[in-house]
Amino acid sequence: MDIDLAELASLVALLKEADFTEFRYDKGETHIVVRRGAVEAEAVRPSSAAPAAHIAPTTPAPLAAQPIAPGDTQKSKPSASGIARNPVPGAKVITAPMLGTFYGAPKPGEPPFVHIGDAVGPDSVVCIVEVMKLMNSVSAEVSGTIVAIHAENGELVEFGQPLFSVQESSAS
Amino acid sequence: MTAAKPRKVFVANRGEIALRIIEACDRLGIDTVLGVSAFDKNSLPARRAGQTVVLGPSHASESYLNVDAVVHAAVATGCTALHPGYGFLSERVSLAQACADNDLIFIGPQPEHLDILGDKLSARRVAQAAGVPVSPGGPTTSGEEALALAGQIGYPVLVKAAFGGGGRGMKLVHDAKDLVAAWELAASEAQAAFGDGTVFVERFVADAKHVEVQILGDRHGNHIHLAERECSVQYRYQKMLEEAPCTALEESARHTLHGYALSLARQINYVSLGTIEFLYDVQRNAWCFLEVNPRVQVEHPVTESVTGVDLVREQILVAFGEPLSLRQEDIRVDGHAIELRLTAQDAHRGLAPSPGTLTRWRPAPLGGIRLDTHLYENYRFPPHYDALMAKIIAWGPDRAAALQRLEQALERLEIEGPRTNLPLLQRLLKTPEVVKNNVTTRWLEDALPRLMEDPR
Repeated sequence: MDIDLAELASLVALLKEADFTEFRYDKGETHIVVRRGAVEAEAVRPSSAAPAAHIAPTTPAPLAAQPIAPGDTQKSKPSASGIARNPVPGAKVITAPMLGTFYGAPKPGEPPFVHIGDAVGPDSVVCIVEVMKLMNSVSAEVSGTIVAIHAENGELVEFGQPLFSVQESSAS
Repeated sequence: MTAAKPRKVFVANRGEIALRIIEACDRLGIDTVLGVSAFDKNSLPARRAGQTVVLGPSHASESYLNVDAVVHAAVATGCTALHPGYGFLSERVSLAQACADNDLIFIGPQPEHLDILGDKLSARRVAQAAGVPVSPGGPTTSGEEALALAGQIGYPVLVKAAFGGGGRGMKLVHDAKDLVAAWELAASEAQAAFGDGTVFVERFVADAKHVEVQILGDRHGNHIHLAERECSVQYRYQKMLEEAPCTALEESARHTLHGYALSLARQINYVSLGTIEFLYDVQRNAWCFLEVNPRVQVEHPVTESVTGVDLVREQILVAFGEPLSLRQEDIRVDGHAIELRLTAQDAHRGLAPSPGTLTRWRPAPLGGIRLDTHLYENYRFPPHYDALMAKIIAWGPDRAAALQRLEQALERLEIEGPRTNLPLLQRLLKTPEVVKNNVTTRWLEDALPRLMEDPR
């Protein structure tokens, strides 16, 4: 994976002034996602040059060893991917209805079901959880705006693990 | 699977047996992943396992009994083998098969053996072929056939579904005039529950001891036995006190029994740890095959205590294809061991389940006592699963010494919170029938009200 640091730095400088919540940059094998706004504090730690730069493979892995999200039953190291694992305070959380492999898109190479900032309704499909080759669609079950995504494509998610934070629209 | 992949065991169980398996793996230097229900996220085994994944909600049918979730979790976490423990999915052919299909080693027998042994009729055929005595009786497909068979066997007889298990649809018939009605009821229940109306009629042995033999087989054709256990103190088919060896046996009867067990194991070239259960009619000095339990058993520690063999370790090693390191002549029985099952069942209320928070849990640190338990102070004992809280195992140079140590262990056990069967266990140890060991399998059901008469 070769990233031109100078190119990246100028990119970040440009983004500083721009008005956006999510920025995606794809070049060959390099995929950069920069999020701003409702994203949780730990993901935008200013210690690195690119705020919350997130490089992830987008093709679903076959049923094989997968990274696992650190839930509260997990004692291992925190996620290195920069994904915000903890739900956004005050938001509704969509959790995994079953244990399985998380897929954010209907098929490999297709755009994800939802992005940060997307409006969802109760019936909106937000992801797929695959258990032993059986694909289970997960619905939002609330109305609102996706403000954070807590799982990565192709990873094992546990029952009850937070997948999305949704800012409810009906909240008064 | 690549040969270089390190051994990693998925533990598909909970409670004390999950801890027991994790400990055996730890001692072998094998990493573990535990699959838990949402309720068990912070259980003792969850904290002890190398990694824990939540399989599903608290209800066992959606977590511990969910074959797809279990296998998916095992594969996704990079496990190379799966230990099912006892209960839950341990005897499920579909789990063993799913493991085989996904390159996971099932720490248990092959799926075909689970299939053969899980069915009363085929298991009985295996026993017969191995020269092991079975109870007089057989399958029947009509009331008239049943009448003729029962006439030959002699009353009382047990009438039960040929397929399936768990005592479902089982009827005790004392007289020929009641047989056809009981047969018809059993047949319709069997048809409804298992889709097969075949009914099994067999002799009912009223005064029998439950004696079982521990066996171990590897993938290289080696089979050994690790002597016998007696588990006659049962309440509605649930064992409460188990011991090794069985002191009611003469040396020749013991020798015969061990021979039967090995013969059955060799008949199907059984691989893994297993138990062959028998009923022993003391008056007639007659054995009859009951069933094979193709898994680790709750009462395995008594055998470990008298033989010094770590059965779970051996079970794991043979599953990975290693040849048995023990030969028959290495197995020696030393002293006597007795296990008591402490359960969250109220002894003063007919053993009604009694879950709740353990406000106090202080077992006495005593020599010669082993405690297999997942309890800790302030643990919320759940209502969702088995009532087993702890197994208290005493070893002594002889039976009297083991009983005495158990008495001390119970006396000094500090437990508060859920109502338990502790008062019953304490009384059992002082009951003449238990002290003299002339208990048979139906004894406790009759004796319980008398034992608990005094409300102290």
